[in-house]
Amino acid sequence: MKTSAYIILAIAILLPLSCRQDFLDVKPQGQLTSENYFASTEQAVWAVNTVYAHIRQNALPLHFIGMTDVISDDSDKGSEPNDAIFLTALDEFTLDPGHASVLEMWRTQYTGIARANLCVEKIPEVPGITEAMKNRLIGEALFLRAYFYFNLVRWYGDVPLITKTLNPDEYNQTRAPKDQVYQQIITDLVASIGLLPERTQYAATDIGRASKGAARGILAKVYLTRRDYANAEKYALEVVNSGQYTLLPRYSDIFLPVGEHSSESIFEIGCMAVESWEGRCEYNMVQGVRGIPNLGWGFNRPSDNLVAEYENGDPRREATILYVGEVLPDGSGVVQDNSALINERYNQKAWVPAHVGLQDNGPGNQRLLRYSDVILILAEALNEQGRAGDALIYLNMVRKRARGTNNFILPDVTVTDMRDLRHRIWRERRVELAMEHHRWFDVIRQMEVDPEYMLPRLKAIQPQFDRFDPMKHLLLPVPQTEIDLSGQAMSQNTGY
Amino acid sequence: MRSQYKSFLNQPANWLILFTFLLPSIMWGQNTVTGVITDGQTQEPLIGVNVGIKNSNKGTITDFDGKYSLDVDDLNVTLVVSYIGYAPQEVPVNGRTELNIVLNENTTMIDEIVVVAYGTQRKSDVTGAVSSVKASELQRIPAPDLSTALQGKVAGLEAISSSRPGANSELTVRGTGTFNGSRPIYVVDGLILDDPANLSANEVESIEVLKDASAVALYGARGANGVILVTTKKGQSGKPIFSFNTYFGIQELDRKIALTNGTEYARLSNLAAMNSGNTTLPYPDPEAIGEGTDWQDVIYQRAPISSQNLSVRGGSDKMLYYISGEVMRQEGIVRSGYFDRYTLRINNEYKITSFLKFGHNLSANFRNSNGEPGGIVFNAIAADPTVPVRDTAGRYGDTSVKSNVSNPEAQLEYNAYNRGNEFRMVGNAYAELYLWKGITYRSSFGFDLINARGKSFVPEFFVNVRQQNPNSVLTVTWGNTRDWQLENLLYWNKSWTNHRLDVMVGTTAQDHTEEFLFGSKRDLVGVTEDLLFLNAAGTDNTYGHGIGAFYRYVSYLGRINYGFRDRYSITATFRRDGSSKFGKLSRYGNFPSIAASWRISEESFMPEISWLNNLKLRGSYGITGNDKIPYDRAFSTITNRIFAVFGAGSAEALNFGAIQTAVANATLQWEENVHTNVGIEFGLLNSRLTGEIDYFRKFGRGIITDPSIPAYVGSQGNPFVNVADVLNSGVEWNVRWRSKAGKVNYFLGATGNTLNNEVLSLADNKTEILDGPTGTTLATRTAVGLPIGAFFGYKVAGIYQNEADIAAYPNVGNVVPGDLRFEDVNGDGIINTMDRTFLGSPVPDLMYGFSAGADFMGIGLSVDLYGVTGNKIVNAKKMNRFFGAPNFEESFLDYWTGEGDSSLEPRVTNGAYPNYEMSERFLEDGSYFRIRNITLTYDFPETLLKSIRMTRLQIFASTTNPITWTSFSGYSPEVGGGPVSRGIDRGSYPVARVYSFGLNAGF
Repeated sequence: MKTSAYIILAIAILLPLSCRQDFLDVKPQGQLTSENYFASTEQAVWAVNTVYAHIRQNALPLHFIGMTDVISDDSDKGSEPNDAIFLTALDEFTLDPGHASVLEMWRTQYTGIARANLCVEKIPEVPGITEAMKNRLIGEALFLRAYFYFNLVRWYGDVPLITKTLNPDEYNQTRAPKDQVYQQIITDLVASIGLLPERTQYAATDIGRASKGAARGILAKVYLTRRDYANAEKYALEVVNSGQYTLLPRYSDIFLPVGEHSSESIFEIGCMAVESWEGRCEYNMVQGVRGIPNLGWGFNRPSDNLVAEYENGDPRREATILYVGEVLPDGSGVVQDNSALINERYNQKAWVPAHVGLQDNGPGNQRLLRYSDVILILAEALNEQGRAGDALIYLNMVRKRARGTNNFILPDVTVTDMRDLRHRIWRERRVELAMEHHRWFDVIRQMEVDPEYMLPRLKAIQPQFDRFDPMKHLLLPVPQTEIDLSGQAMSQNTGY
Repeated sequence: MRSQYKSFLNQPANWLILFTFLLPSIMWGQNTVTGVITDGQTQEPLIGVNVGIKNSNKGTITDFDGKYSLDVDDLNVTLVVSYIGYAPQEVPVNGRTELNIVLNENTTMIDEIVVVAYGTQRKSDVTGAVSSVKASELQRIPAPDLSTALQGKVAGLEAISSSRPGANSELTVRGTGTFNGSRPIYVVDGLILDDPANLSANEVESIEVLKDASAVALYGARGANGVILVTTKKGQSGKPIFSFNTYFGIQELDRKIALTNGTEYARLSNLAAMNSGNTTLPYPDPEAIGEGTDWQDVIYQRAPISSQNLSVRGGSDKMLYYISGEVMRQEGIVRSGYFDRYTLRINNEYKITSFLKFGHNLSANFRNSNGEPGGIVFNAIAADPTVPVRDTAGRYGDTSVKSNVSNPEAQLEYNAYNRGNEFRMVGNAYAELYLWKGITYRSSFGFDLINARGKSFVPEFFVNVRQQNPNSVLTVTWGNTRDWQLENLLYWNKSWTNHRLDVMVGTTAQDHTEEFLFGSKRDLVGVTEDLLFLNAAGTDNTYGHGIGAFYRYVSYLGRINYGFRDRYSITATFRRDGSSKFGKLSRYGNFPSIAASWRISEESFMPEISWLNNLKLRGSYGITGNDKIPYDRAFSTITNRIFAVFGAGSAEALNFGAIQTAVANATLQWEENVHTNVGIEFGLLNSRLTGEIDYFRKFGRGIITDPSIPAYVGSQGNPFVNVADVLNSGVEWNVRWRSKAGKVNYFLGATGNTLNNEVLSLADNKTEILDGPTGTTLATRTAVGLPIGAFFGYKVAGIYQNEADIAAYPNVGNVVPGDLRFEDVNGDGIINTMDRTFLGSPVPDLMYGFSAGADFMGIGLSVDLYGVTGNKIVNAKKMNRFFGAPNFEESFLDYWTGEGDSSLEPRVTNGAYPNYEMSERFLEDGSYFRIRNITLTYDFPETLLKSIRMTRLQIFASTTNPITWTSFSGYSPEVGGGPVSRGIDRGSYPVARVYSFGLNAGF
């Protein structure tokens, strides 16, 4: 019986061994979880960094390029005829609500917004964070959120306005009116101007983060789009008067490695090719020379219409378009003919010299906002307010730089008629900013401002603009799956 | 003292007292029962028969003459006599000291003891669907992996094997009921393992495959995919028996894939060029090229496989032991691959006292392997046959120009250093306490420790621009897995007249951790093996990485088995599982089952039907779970290493970023399977005909998948939820005829099952799961009403014969006569992706095996056959013509030659639309029928063996997979893959044909 007692005791000891309450509280290994994140200033910085990284990785860049350049009059699909034919639907306006790019660009903006929202929500409570750092990081997040919404509202019009992390019971969203979205963008940008440092106040290693100048520049463009020319002038002028930016002497330098984060760069997303592939982007590859010497994909072919838009001798044409037989910008080779391509030419602004990365490990930064863009915004805003003389000063600043030392080309514009000058400024914008993914947004903005001027010019481009319907195509369709997943709470844009 | 003692014995009365005291001890210690055990039919003595005392640990085995000698406590005990293949007997001694016993061959299998979850049961008491496979059947297939030998042996089990050295078979029990991990779990001597690769068939006593809820529900959240219970050999009391088992075999490629030779390739390439509008022909004179290179001959070889196993088992009434050591070697039929395994097993049991046993099952093994160069199987199929292996100057031929693949021979030189070595210790130690009146307590601690290392080295080399490595690179991996399991179980058996009760309750806990390290460096200072260490790298460009995993389980379980008059039996089981893989709110689940059986043949109302020996009906119902998902899926984890790039010029640098990128579901739970099973067991005609037939229905609910949430939520990836339903149902049979014709004993067996697999629902926001990447598209679509991973693409209506056809039928443009004409499935007059439709199932709807055996005068012959029907295979390697012009399969030669040609093989093109879209063109019948194994054995006669003091000497010759009948054009119709993307042949490693011979000796 004594033995039995020991045995009972042994069981009593052994059984509960496997029943400890916290035995199952196992954490993921080597991974932080959201419960214990945003616990330090360092983590707050990490979180904000991911929002920038998201712009760099931006799905497949083909979708972004398709919805900014290929869809516009600046470029065609490029590459071989059967490759990535979804871009043809954008080029020729046969797209429907199931189009891949329409969904991918929608998705990627909102993914960035979700990250920015998390930062805006969590950073104020980060323990031990200094006021200065908190302001800067929240300013960056607000700026980036506004950047994504500005893309969304221009592509799709009314969109769900999400400014906090959603709970599962909030997944059925409706589209907020465009004006409300713009109001949020303006609020965020105004706030970020107050919170962010100037570009030169950043350490050299932090160049590329959002600055006061970037927020002012985007805000000027927002107001220009809203046709609030006084405010557009105000913020563009603040950029000019900040003394932070100058035009580079030579236009073609902007897009070379030496032009990365130059004095002309207001907002730019960094990319670099390293062996781990962790700084890469595919932006350079998809637009690279298809064949020798680059082995890129050859998408986003500058259109005939763009080629014709340049004034005689405008060096910007050579800096923008890479032709067969042209010597590469670094002199390393000559573009060879690829018989599989029609009307072969490439976006030279996306060209990068040979680099240590493989093709899809591209190193080229994406220049998202340049000083000359802001100057032209200023010129346009002044002209629209009837101050043609002031406008000409800024317009001719851009032409002067483009001209360089060659005084036989690109003479100063002297037109003072508001409508004529408007068209001169628009033409300048087009050639100055060609293939930099601003064109579609300019097209739809200008269509609203002056359809009589724009529509015939677009319609002349055949067959690309044959199906273009200004009542329909100034907005892209809301992705069908999003309407379905919203529980049909969202409506579709007219005509789709 | 001495005088006193003397005086005690001097008195006769005291003698009597002494005798009275000693009597019991004499009776305990000195009664010996002896006898001879013989075969009831042949009257031959039986060697190695177990003779035990009922309700005692004591026992012995018969010697060479069939004799046994057993000390008994008293002469009223009952002896229990058992011998594999014979009906066990219980014989009351009734005071006799000499007791000869006659055993009869057991043809009914009824009273076998089978291993079940957390215990054993008499086969006649089993209420669930359990298939048993004995060791002798496993040993016939020469393979490093135990599961390979199960193919065709177990109704309801599908095994897709591979002859890659050291490879495991992919097993599926009763159909795939999940989109996640679908493999069964293995339970080896009570230890739950995901991978049994340490086991050799020689060490295994038996395998039980548990299939229905009654059998698997005790494995709770892990039982849904079925359970393979493996019992390793144990000691037996008696003299030591040494066994030496060895075989040597040669593996070879069963068949080559029919490809075009040099001339044919050139001719087809010319056609392809012309068809794409080129006027200059790549090969002006195809005939001049001749046969060219057969790249399959380059990479395949006849490869040896061998095993030597030496074991000893024996024991006394205090200790039982089984010790086994084995060396197993396998070379790959693809050159450069190999697998060696060294195994040591020690299974001992010690009887500490009459009520306490202690034992352990320990296995240690070491594996060395080398993997063949990556992609070489496909490359040998695809490589340009007009290119020589080496040119006249000795340089490797450039197969990249046309066929866009590496030169396989060069790969064998430069990419063949892919070493792996692994040390693994698996085992458990247990104690069993006999407590009181049929109550036993068992506590077991098990562990599985794996230390796996890998080393790959690619030297600096240059074959051509696309096949080169400018900087040598060394990659080292180091993985460590540690698993422990603790089990505490209480058993209670009680029998009354007419009633029998078995009760088990217990708790278990398990803890599993993994860590994996990866490091890579370039520019090694040398290429010899002694320099293949990371510190021998010449430059600092390094890459290091690591990953871990950690999960735990806590479980409470119980079973009641009640029998009445050996006719009615009821089993109820219950398990409550807690798992750290799931959220705090949902981490516990309950898994009950209930089953009953009725032995109709034992009923008194059954008239004496002479031909009916056994008839048993059984049915079961219960719930099991499947938790084979990543351990961290329920957690909202922060994604690391999302780098931003800041800084200009030399200040440009990666800036670390981390954030939660995806919404997680904290209420995620295991998938549930509701099993229903109805079975009948029978024995007819003096048990010459025996069998089991089962109908099963496995309803999977809450299958984990990731239905979409709106993109505006901003989650990268949709949260996983328990939402889909999948049904598997079918009929299984296992029927055996066993008899004698003259002096020939023979048997015939048939086993198999039907299987119907269907997705019943997915989710509101998910109508399909597309998977199975092939060419430029996805070849499988999992959707409601279809089997999991159903093939999906265009139906071929014909070939556009002329321009009139193109005008008459819908097309997408860009087609010319000779292109495939797809069916306008939705009839909208347009051919587009909406016309892709269900093309066939990757899951066979019938799997069947036959076996036959006969023996005569020591000569034995056995044949196993296996087949499946009803499934399709996608020949994805034929589709792969988008980059370059790989070698053509012979079927290309049937190309459409012009108007009126009824061939369904389109004109020759390289990867152009529409001929390379996923369509019926690439779908092949996956049915096959195979002679799985033929084995011829010869057992030397016992009279001879006795003179050389051996108990057994058998020599055998065997062939595995000698003939396969199939219309599939690839190497082997056994093409695996994940649950939603199986049956796609992208160049699978072939299944080999093996010729082997060997011997099994006992002494």
